[in-house]
Amino acid sequence: MDTQPNNILQVDNLNVFYGSFQAVKDVSFYVKQGEIFGLLGPNGAGKTSTLSAIEGLIRQQSGSVTVAGYDTLKNPLHAKAAMGVQLQSTSFQPELNVSEILQLYAALYGVTLTQEKLHAMLKEINLAEAEGKKFGQLSGGQQQRVSLAITTIHDPKLVLLDEPTSGLDPQSRRQLWSRIDAIREKGHGVVLTTHSMEEAEAVCDRISIIDHGRVIATDTPQAMIDKHKDDPGVIAVSRRGKVTLEDVFIALTGLDIRG
Amino acid sequence: MEIAIPKTSAVMKALLKADYTTLWRNRRANIMVLIVPIIIVSTWKGFVNLAGGAFVLSNAITLGLVAIGLMGYTNSIARDRDKGVFQRLRVSPVPLWTIMVSRLLVQLTVIIILTLIVFISGYQFDHISISASGYFVTLLTSIIGGAVYLALGQVIVGRIQNPETVNSTARLIYFAFIMVGMFSQILLVTEPKLKWVADLVTWTPYGTVKDILAAGLEPSKWNNHTSEALLITLGYTVVFAVLGIKWFKWSNK
Repeated sequence: MDTQPNNILQVDNLNVFYGSFQAVKDVSFYVKQGEIFGLLGPNGAGKTSTLSAIEGLIRQQSGSVTVAGYDTLKNPLHAKAAMGVQLQSTSFQPELNVSEILQLYAALYGVTLTQEKLHAMLKEINLAEAEGKKFGQLSGGQQQRVSLAITTIHDPKLVLLDEPTSGLDPQSRRQLWSRIDAIREKGHGVVLTTHSMEEAEAVCDRISIIDHGRVIATDTPQAMIDKHKDDPGVIAVSRRGKVTLEDVFIALTGLDIRG
Repeated sequence: MEIAIPKTSAVMKALLKADYTTLWRNRRANIMVLIVPIIIVSTWKGFVNLAGGAFVLSNAITLGLVAIGLMGYTNSIARDRDKGVFQRLRVSPVPLWTIMVSRLLVQLTVIIILTLIVFISGYQFDHISISASGYFVTLLTSIIGGAVYLALGQVIVGRIQNPETVNSTARLIYFAFIMVGMFSQILLVTEPKLKWVADLVTWTPYGTVKDILAAGLEPSKWNNHTSEALLITLGYTVVFAVLGIKWFKWSNK
């Protein structure tokens, strides 16, 4: 396990239970500054539970999570201040409009948001004309942009994105990928969960495949393909004669449909 | 690398601003909460001569407090939990207690508005005027009484996850409070033979709150029974709050 000081996120032997059900089993990984790390897995594999433990939404039974040097159990507020989080299904107070939501979260992260800054931010996310609209009145792509703007409003060291492109059209997805790349270029770490192998290949520097709560493989997308391309199981599930990351993923996690 | 966390005072200010904006934008629903007490004050004119102005005002305020705690607070918490609003707030660097304290302060404002509106309605419709100390003590007892129903609302959102079920349960309990509380009070005045019903209701959350409010309106009539009612009111609040907080989950998932 790499425990270098430039790791912006360090997860060690994380275990999460829901009652007697163990959702996360001894999960360990790290994310460096300026790195996009993908957490891949079938439905119910433990991706969101792992992220929730990092975010402080659920408490792990054992193991440790360190964000920007802060232990999430010992210094939860400092760890949260170092993180920007986009949840799988985010909602804001339905009575507030876009600019009020941005102002609220800016204040919660200790950011002073002047009217000029607010308008610049809205312009940057192509929502200058929607500032008076309620969150529920926005399209899926617009909601995603507001949500990402709030996620990064305090220039966090670590950005956590839980299935950020789920339900987006190709244009919105490409735009979001560009924004994620821009976050990396600033030297920040990014963790994203996704079901899209195309997305993982296009965006992530390294990925971990998680299944039944355990990390079963970690590498760069291309290295993972190269390592497994000659496995009989991978060749058996590959289509059109070319091994893809999805073939490797299917071979490692099985063809059974999960809940 | 040192990470700065926002000051709690700044966090509270931002949360309060958002919660008061939400309150203002939901003003139609809140007006509905205030209508029942106004109707009581305006239609119970006959009881003013029969049982006194304090009787009418205390019943009106008590029902308003029940509506605030069971309908306003409970439904807003259940809805925001279901939509994931709390989860989004929880991943921010804010102490969890600030999220709830902000919500409760907003409800406290509604309680104060309710009490003032009942005072004004009582004066306008029934020419009920009480002493300055009576107004002041009643404001305090309204806040104490409101705490019981907010805590009871917390129990409901603690035990029940589904917002529709929370809504229907809160309405059912509200209706039960109207039936048991209000009509037992009317029986006390109109049917002395059924006094035992009113005696029984005296020690329910409706009865104790109504009694401290009535005594608050006429501080000279504060007696041992009122002090016992106050203690029991505080007891209900503590028990409901402890259970409500213990059972409460921030997420429906």
